[in-house]
Amino acid sequence: MLVDYVTRGVKAGLVAGLAFGLLVALVANPLVAFADEFGHEGETRATGDHREADTDGHHDGTTSGSHEGPAVSAAVTNGVSVVSGVLWGVLLGAVVFGAGFYFLEPAIPGTGTSKSYVLAAAGFVSVSGAPWLVFPPQPPGVEQALPAETRLPLYAGMVLLGALVCLLAGAVYGRLHADLGRIVAGAAALTPFGLLSVPVALSPSTAVTHSLPSGLATGLVGLVVLGQVLLWTVLAATYARLHRRATAERGSPVDADQIDSAVTAD
Amino acid sequence: MATANDSVHGRIERAGTELTPTQMAAGLGVVAALGFALLFVQEPTMHDAMHNFRHATGVTCH
Repeated sequence: MLVDYVTRGVKAGLVAGLAFGLLVALVANPLVAFADEFGHEGETRATGDHREADTDGHHDGTTSGSHEGPAVSAAVTNGVSVVSGVLWGVLLGAVVFGAGFYFLEPAIPGTGTSKSYVLAAAGFVSVSGAPWLVFPPQPPGVEQALPAETRLPLYAGMVLLGALVCLLAGAVYGRLHADLGRIVAGAAALTPFGLLSVPVALSPSTAVTHSLPSGLATGLVGLVVLGQVLLWTVLAATYARLHRRATAERGSPVDADQIDSAVTAD
Repeated sequence: MATANDSVHGRIERAGTELTPTQMAAGLGVVAALGFALLFVQEPTMHDAMHNFRHATGVTCH
């Protein structure tokens, strides 16, 4: 049974991953490359680097390489990034919607299809939302105040804390909604999210400097947030559809009830 | 199908009987390796190849 759930999760993840891969290929790749060029160019000018004339000439000719010289060519970066985008969807689908949905299904608030969306929201908060409170998405070419060795464990810690807070919120809702009704239980379930403010207040300053125009920087951050929201939405919708179909084939009365309500809701 | 054990505890127990420890370890290993590779590897070749993806996902890097 767990294997069925994970298979379904991987399928949904593949669909969502392909959608996200398309976004990376069509939007993120050219935009990040452009911002990289732009940022490095501005940096060079700002610091009055003696190689300025040199790099400017370089940029006019071939725009593929920056002056720091990435270890791989732009074509490899583009290709690997798209594949990574697909794998990212598969990973989230397998972990959150495969194993996560299997173990947590009885405890997730909602019925039928809506459970998928609740889980997707929790997944977004854990994997992206909580870490972004400490390390907001950054446009390329920024100088971070903290070294990567400090940021990575903090990032991983925020993912775990985010997942913990979501589980806690689910537990609070599950305990209260029978006695107090949905609205009160829902409001009470919001309180655990306050815990996320503790690490945000305690975390060291993560000041960044970059030389991109603020419009471009805002646009890039918006793209990142929108991309992840899109990924989770596609994941939830696809998983809900596959799950509904599988339970319909199995045809138990409880599941049939859920299918009816889901179909009328559509 | 599974109304008797429809609780989180029931599902965990059930997974324990359905899967062998080897399968569980293999599954966890694949997930951990993929997650680590996508999010945390700093080795220059890997990092630069996934540069656009990490920026598009909002993962903290370099």
